[in-house]
Amino acid sequence: MSAPARILRKVIRKYSRPMTLSYPSTAMGEKRYSQIPPKLRGIPERDLEKCIGCKACYYVCSGRATTPVMVDGKLVMQINLSRCTFCGHCEEACPEEAIKMTPRFELAVRDKTRPEMFVETTLDMAVCACCGRPFIAQKQLKRSFERLNEKIDKSVRDEVAADFRKVEQYCPECKRARSVGLDTHTKKHVWVEGA
Amino acid sequence: MGLGIMDKARIYSPWVYHLHCGGCNGCDIEILAALAPRFDAERFGIQLVGSPRHADILLATGCVPKQFIPMLKRVYSQVPEPKVVIAIGGCACGGSLFYEEEPENYAILGSADLAIPVDVYVPGCAAKPEQIVNGIVQGILKLAEKKRGVKTEPVVVGPPPKEGERVPAPAPAPAPSAAPGSNST
Repeated sequence: MSAPARILRKVIRKYSRPMTLSYPSTAMGEKRYSQIPPKLRGIPERDLEKCIGCKACYYVCSGRATTPVMVDGKLVMQINLSRCTFCGHCEEACPEEAIKMTPRFELAVRDKTRPEMFVETTLDMAVCACCGRPFIAQKQLKRSFERLNEKIDKSVRDEVAADFRKVEQYCPECKRARSVGLDTHTKKHVWVEGA
Repeated sequence: MGLGIMDKARIYSPWVYHLHCGGCNGCDIEILAALAPRFDAERFGIQLVGSPRHADILLATGCVPKQFIPMLKRVYSQVPEPKVVIAIGGCACGGSLFYEEEPENYAILGSADLAIPVDVYVPGCAAKPEQIVNGIVQGILKLAEKKRGVKTEPVVVGPPPKEGERVPAPAPAPAPSAAPGSNST
């Protein structure tokens, strides 16, 4: 078939059917339902196991949609979806890869305060032994110790662990006030080349 | 008793007026895409009209600046009863990037529901055309509940707020529940 005839055949085939996508119903078959690419940035979703409450998503959020709220002594990371821009910065900034942007986008509501518009994750807080204020999420404390352990030389692990046990129960202000009394090692060969 | 003919006409062919209240125009382009043949909103009888006096549904997009408040209220009062207001886009729903509670911005009021009562919220940045169609369909369902002759409170059109004048803050987000493991989406 000659080239103009091929082009004509293609054009006729494409435009002989309506090009409307049958969005609310699948009457015309799945293929013409909607255009949703698999990497679409839709509603963010947080994995409860991985979130450590470090608030990196809060510092990076473009629309101030993610906020840390203290409720009954627990930390709640709350994403307000009516302010979210679905930019994905929180997914990039999360150190534990807990936030993922799902391709779901259906969110029209009549009332802005419905629970569908909020994505919430609750975390327990560690309390300072000196002043009694909650200052960090327990998971973040544990995870920061694990990360530290991965990188330091094996010979100093016991010293570092002992120091950590001494200081982990104090908030930054109390730690500063008591830094003379806490007997921690000051000189260590901490970093191994290439580790 | 069933619906009268006027109520049926309102449900089966709602006429829409699109009002751009300030913002980047992303959601406005998506509204026009929703009315184009690909994501056909005109299947539902929706028609874009040129005057708010002919409309049933008002589509408000964008974050509202303080100088636009009297115009927004004037257009809202020109739409005849019964009417439905749909706030499209993250900026019209909750202010998104441009709204801060404190310090208060000198130019931006915030979301559309600080100036006029809003019935349906369609968040997104920009809201997808499928989602706009979904929101308009929810607006039609709400319009079906409003009968003729039921008047809502009239909206008073005043001058824009002067510099330094405090505008009313929106209702705060509800306090989240402290139940552990509540990852509600």
